[in-house]
Amino acid sequence: MACPLLRRCSKWNANCTSLFETLWYCDGRSVSYSTSSLGRTSWSSGTGNEGQPSLLRRRTRPNTFNFTTSLSRHQPRLLDPKLQACFWINSAHTDVKLQDPFTIAQKDLTNLYDDIRKELFVSKELKALCHYYFDGKGKAIRPMIVVLMARALNSHSNRSGDLLPGQRAVAMITEMIHTASLVHDDVIDGSDKRRGKGTINELWGEKKAILAGDFILSVASITMARIGNNTVVKVFSQVIEDLVRGEFMQLGSKENENERFKHYLEKTFKKTASLIANSCKAVCVLVSSDPKVHEIAYQYGKNVGIAFQLVDDVLDFTSGANHLGKPSAADLKLGLATGPVLFACQQFPELHAMIMRRFSSKGDVDRAWQYVFQSDGVEQTKNLAQHYCQEAIRQISMLRPSPERDALIRLTEMVLTRDK
Amino acid sequence: MALSSRGRRTLSLFSSSAPSNWSKAVADAEKIVGYPTSFMSLRCLLSDELSNVAIQVKKLIGTQHPLLHTARGFVFDSGNHLPTRGLIVLLLSKAAGPSHTASDLLAQDMVSGIHTSQRNLAEITELIHTAFLVHRGIVDLKEWTISDGPLKDMEFGNKMAVLSGDFLLANACTGLAQLNNTKVVELISSAIGDVVQGIYNENTSNSEEHSLGGSVDVEAWEEHTFLSHGALLAKSCQAAMELAQHDTEAQSLAYTFGKHLSMGHRLNSDLQPFVKSSAGESVTFSFSAAPVVFHRQIVGQERWSQQLQQVKTRRNELDYSKLLAAVKSEKGVNTAMDLCCYHGNKALEAIQAFPSSEARSALENIASAITKF
Repeated sequence: MACPLLRRCSKWNANCTSLFETLWYCDGRSVSYSTSSLGRTSWSSGTGNEGQPSLLRRRTRPNTFNFTTSLSRHQPRLLDPKLQACFWINSAHTDVKLQDPFTIAQKDLTNLYDDIRKELFVSKELKALCHYYFDGKGKAIRPMIVVLMARALNSHSNRSGDLLPGQRAVAMITEMIHTASLVHDDVIDGSDKRRGKGTINELWGEKKAILAGDFILSVASITMARIGNNTVVKVFSQVIEDLVRGEFMQLGSKENENERFKHYLEKTFKKTASLIANSCKAVCVLVSSDPKVHEIAYQYGKNVGIAFQLVDDVLDFTSGANHLGKPSAADLKLGLATGPVLFACQQFPELHAMIMRRFSSKGDVDRAWQYVFQSDGVEQTKNLAQHYCQEAIRQISMLRPSPERDALIRLTEMVLTRDK
Repeated sequence: MALSSRGRRTLSLFSSSAPSNWSKAVADAEKIVGYPTSFMSLRCLLSDELSNVAIQVKKLIGTQHPLLHTARGFVFDSGNHLPTRGLIVLLLSKAAGPSHTASDLLAQDMVSGIHTSQRNLAEITELIHTAFLVHRGIVDLKEWTISDGPLKDMEFGNKMAVLSGDFLLANACTGLAQLNNTKVVELISSAIGDVVQGIYNENTSNSEEHSLGGSVDVEAWEEHTFLSHGALLAKSCQAAMELAQHDTEAQSLAYTFGKHLSMGHRLNSDLQPFVKSSAGESVTFSFSAAPVVFHRQIVGQERWSQQLQQVKTRRNELDYSKLLAAVKSEKGVNTAMDLCCYHGNKALEAIQAFPSSEARSALENIASAITKF
């Protein structure tokens, strides 16, 4: 097990374990995540140490590098070929037929945008603004996760048939909250392009953009109230709070390196993963009263969400201009140090000063960019995303098998390999 | 020209011009509910996030960003605009008393005649109102010319305004969720939607301020004003009844009271520059103030354009005292006064259905103060 990648990870782990412990155990809602509560779950795919997130596990036992068995036929293209070999060795005895998430989710997502537009019933110009991003051209990855999770959980709870109406509504609410936050983010960041078209603030001005975001949020809030479940409302109010707090966190930088990484991951959780995690929890609350199952849904969403954002941060460096519908190195230009830069800073301490001044001096963005590519910052960020995906798989594997559950497993791979 | 009208609009939004009747009625009423309502958002104002904003807002001093005015309002609270919505929700909760159908458990949680959930609702109402004061002050960067000041300041001010407004709204959402009543969540969320639409319409009509065809009739004005100024209080009053398990009739009365009170209050504020004896004082008012809107509808667009031309100074600025006199010479002011009394009386009428009490008298005083000039 002496592949260089692993050693690098372990070395890094030794420096930063405390960060992970903090993040994993202390974000307030994952406290209940403990060996005892999960060990009792009978249908887990059992590698014997579910109690710990795989990353920590690997630190303590570098020689038993076990991916969760359900990973099975993954061929993560991002991985080092040597590491891939590890996969195959450990996955030989399972046979999970991996399903394509898009195909499976299709039937539940067909009219999603139409339905959202119907909810956003308002007169005249404001309507045009509110409908602007619900044009069906978005990736709809969040609603897809939500409906797959809902069906996986329904199977798990022996409930056959269609989605519950409330679960479908959760998928809509997820996309609405996401969009409302995009609209506000674009004003805050002064962005003029999104998904290949002009932003709302660019076309209609900042004032109207903010109001449109507020309106979408109010409609999402009405829709969730109509589900009639207080827990669902609470779960989503947590999301809204996290989104705002995450945005505030983005304003500050930390002097201390470890603090900075913790800050980055916490911000990533709040800004991206909280919505996915809590949406997964919301569809779960509607079908199951078992807190252990709620936690599985939440942990899957949280880990996939963080991985999703880490890959997004990588793509900001590696994807060509306009591939994501926004210019590359957008984060650096906004003064934000994301995963690749933070890892690069470990090899090139020169980056420290630039991070602290938020790349505001002339030439900072270009120099930081070069340092990132001279370092293995991109590779390390991808690896980190990979770890989060493994944890997501480990969590979701505790549900009873179903095509949707397997689609959610397959989805983690797509999160890692997407290039846009 | 564009700048000066923007400045005036901001002033009319955030400065206090209420009559002393109102202030006294409010001050007396605060004693009844137990504590000054301006304390309600304190938890939120003392949070790390808003302290951070407060530090950042210092950078805006000397710029023209509206957030500065709004922030000033938090500190030098005039006792006029900000605290009253929460106060009215509390007074009405107390005036309605415990519901006959409510369980004993619910009755036990009352403190000086008001349920904890109703106090929380009052706070939420204030948070939402404040959030929109902040979001109202977002500046359109493309309309900002370099002579108005550095664009960077405006970008920064916008950023702070978006974040702090969102933060207040997020706190309101959390508070709403904790009420454990999805009917109330739906009601208040729809009120947020109403406020957004109201402000959105304000923006659209303000941009037509100097163009032709921007005239609206009384009915349309009432509709817009209800959305921007009435819906939140009306629905909060209704929600306060729902929280105490009062029946739909009580809820409907509360809604009616909140609606007419806020409409009356808005008319009363709009009327202040037109009823105060302002000899020699410099006077400003917004073109969206009710007397001006009604005046424009009465005299017609053509005449209004003439009047605007006539009051232009040599430097092509508007002489507001002359314009004020022009408006006063016609029926617009009277129409607004009549409408104000109508709403005040409707509010009084609605509140009569509740049993006589100290809290009800306080609400009566507030409603009456609205109709006095």
